[in-house]
Amino acid sequence: MEHLIQTIGRNMFAIFGVMALAGAVLMIASRSAVHSVLGFLFAMLSIAGCFLSLEAEFLGMAQILVYAGGIVVLFLFVVMLVEMSKKREGEVFQLQSRYAVLTVAVGAAAFLAVFRKTIFGAASPEALVLRPDLAKGLDVAHQNAQAVSRGLFADYLLPFEILSVILLVALVGAVVLAKTERV
Amino acid sequence: MPTPTLTQSIVITLIQCLLVVIFVFVVVPLTVFAERKVLGHLQMRLGSTRIASGHTGLSGFLNRGMWKMGKVPVLSYWRGIPGLLADVVKLIIKEDIIPDKADRFVFFLAPSISMVAAVVVFAAISFVPGTFFTFPTWFPLVGGLPVSGGIADINVGLLWILGVATVGVYGIVLAGWSSNSKYPLLGGLRSAAQMVSYEVPLALSLLAPVVLAASLNFTEMATRMAVGMPIWALVPQVIGFLLYLTCGFAETNRLPFDMPEAENELVAGFHTEYSGMKFGLFYLAEYINMTVVSALASAFFLGGPWLLPFGLQGLLNPYLPGFLSWFGEPHAIFFVAKIIFLLFTYIWVRGTIPRYRYDQIMAVGWKYLIPLALVNLLLAAAIRCFAV
Repeated sequence: MEHLIQTIGRNMFAIFGVMALAGAVLMIASRSAVHSVLGFLFAMLSIAGCFLSLEAEFLGMAQILVYAGGIVVLFLFVVMLVEMSKKREGEVFQLQSRYAVLTVAVGAAAFLAVFRKTIFGAASPEALVLRPDLAKGLDVAHQNAQAVSRGLFADYLLPFEILSVILLVALVGAVVLAKTERV
Repeated sequence: MPTPTLTQSIVITLIQCLLVVIFVFVVVPLTVFAERKVLGHLQMRLGSTRIASGHTGLSGFLNRGMWKMGKVPVLSYWRGIPGLLADVVKLIIKEDIIPDKADRFVFFLAPSISMVAAVVVFAAISFVPGTFFTFPTWFPLVGGLPVSGGIADINVGLLWILGVATVGVYGIVLAGWSSNSKYPLLGGLRSAAQMVSYEVPLALSLLAPVVLAASLNFTEMATRMAVGMPIWALVPQVIGFLLYLTCGFAETNRLPFDMPEAENELVAGFHTEYSGMKFGLFYLAEYINMTVVSALASAFFLGGPWLLPFGLQGLLNPYLPGFLSWFGEPHAIFFVAKIIFLLFTYIWVRGTIPRYRYDQIMAVGWKYLIPLALVNLLLAAAIRCFAV
């Protein structure tokens, strides 16, 4: 019993990973758009589980809060309005699918090329720390949020701010597009 | 103290889960009963008095005495409680109707999501400071092991509570969509918009205690809020409390903001097509959410969960007689008392304030509550920076 539970506990990441993949497959393969959104939600919650099994509680909770709580709700909102007519797609795979496969293949190759060393190479002798002096006096396993915030607001402040400006540009652009149509 | 093995800690956690479920199933029916009674008395009527016999027993005797004195009998508060049992039995054995054109899977999924999201929030709330009780040594498997007052005291407990509570929106939205009917869909859409917009000021108002306590852990925050706060922290806390309570009403779809099920516009909103225990799950989830909001408010705004509010404990302690000495220490009873008071406030507000119009709700949320919450956060940050 004890052995079984320990084995399950050690493989939590794999279990959640398989669940996330299952959710992603459900998202692609289901014929109703709302079911697709549900599959997406399941995948997002499973990814939060992956983060939790890696002891990154803050990232896991942020995943739930941002994706499950915000973004997927808005998806659902739009999809519900679109699907008022209840017209279901006749085919699962459509015209765009061959282009999609091509894009995914290129993306996967690029990903593999970049992360080849990380995935197949030998493990790094010491854990990756951004700037050791910033992590001083911090118990990362128990002060997740503090560790992330030091990374964001001290080490990578400029990229972080640039990202937020880009998001703001997208926001303003959306407002402008929505407004001009009405005038 | 022995360290528990993995099996033992899982068994202990399951026992804690069972205790939480028992707590929920005690609190919710009593809240429903109190709601009927309190609303009745707010509107100068008696509330539910049926089913219990009125003429026998002690209270029957006292009531007859009060009638003779020309007074309305108020001693019969417990009457009507059997009606609750009848309600539960009715919900369970009622025919479970599924509309013909409904999406059966989602129709089944929606109430479960609502219920699960409401209950799972309790994982991060500690009801009792420290150890709740220790198993006696003769107990099989887990003898001699302590059971702590909260299930999982994780270091981002507050984010867990907020995150899981947001998942509850899906229950309402999916219920509205899967019923394949106009009124539920409108109710679901309204509630999606309302809950997503009120989550923002809710989270912002909770950030003020986070800033003041410099932690996201439930126990740590609760302890910091209870002791060692500067007097200036009272200002952002009072504003934050009012903001939080308002947003909490909106998040739980209670009366001044019960847009999703505004009965004179939308029949019964998102659960129009639901019957039997599926409706019962929505009903339970609403009351559990109320309890959660009350628990958080009492923990972060009313001077920590396990003590008297506003430092009254310090004033009171020197005068306590010996047999009341437990009153001077952190105790779960204060937590429960605060939760009960806030649940009463819920009912009180329901009996007092009429429903807002939909555009008014959105205007209040976006134009007043969010800027106010931001100003409050700024205030809290200033106090944290200069006064702590």
